Amino acid sequence: MTPLHFSYYSAFTISIMGLSFHRTHLISTLLCLESMMLSLFIALSLWPIQLSISSFTLTPMLMLAFSACEAAMGLSLLVASSRTHGSDHLQNLNLLQC
Amino acid sequence: MMYFMFLFGFFFVFWMVGVSCQPSPYYGVLSLVLGAASGCAVLVIMGGSFVSLVLFLIYLGGMLVLFAYSTALVAESGHIGWNYWESAFYVVIYVLCIVFAGVYYYWAWSVEGFGCATVDGDGPFTIRFDFSGVSWFYCFGSMMFVIVGWGLLLTLFVVLALVHGLSRGVVRAI
Repeated sequence: MTPLHFSYYSAFTISIMGLSFHRTHLISTLLCLESMMLSLFIALSLWPIQLSISSFTLTPMLMLAFSACEAAMGLSLLVASSRTHGSDHLQNLNLLQC
Repeated sequence: MMYFMFLFGFFFVFWMVGVSCQPSPYYGVLSLVLGAASGCAVLVIMGGSFVSLVLFLIYLGGMLVLFAYSTALVAESGHIGWNYWESAFYVVIYVLCIVFAGVYYYWAWSVEGFGCATVDGDGPFTIRFDFSGVSWFYCFGSMMFVIVGWGLLLTLFVVLALVHGLSRGVVRAI
């Protein structure tokens, strides 16, 4: 694995670990999701560049459009939960707790 | 030149570790902005200047501005900043994971050298191929273009339904 591939692979892994181990705020989780999308965009952009396949440059554009949709969804859920619970602390999302 | 690219690749991983470890979302947004800038630099050095500009415009100018405003809206003003020992523990664990993975990959298989060959332009009258690649959107990707546009319009209505509040919203306000 070249260092370039290792850089976005490790960025994705670190972001998914940050998503799993988030501590206080819901928005930190959404930020880790965005950094996962960023590392995926870089991976999908580097693939047609390195193999000189120009038509696969469409794939990162499509991924960016859909990740913008996903970020909008996450932020609207954040706003909705902040209105209901008063803040975005994860300890308030305890509806299933006995 | 490849060491220059490797430097930006290192900065990209560094800022992504920063995003995952930040206790305060304000600093997490800043770290993500700088990580996206480093990622753009990697793409530019590899020859994809158009995708790098698209990343800057759409990701930083669109999505992260939205994130910054939402963070200011939602996160409380008395943010705790760096709780040193707890955050340092997370940083150390993440860096150890990267070092362990790097040692494993470079010990198990031999080092192939830094980076790969770039594709550069030959002068002002040639078209960079990532420009020409995205222009396939309008020819053979026209149906996908319509579907993505429909998906974005659908997202607008879904967001409106989610934050409507009062009695018609998904998560009702008390």
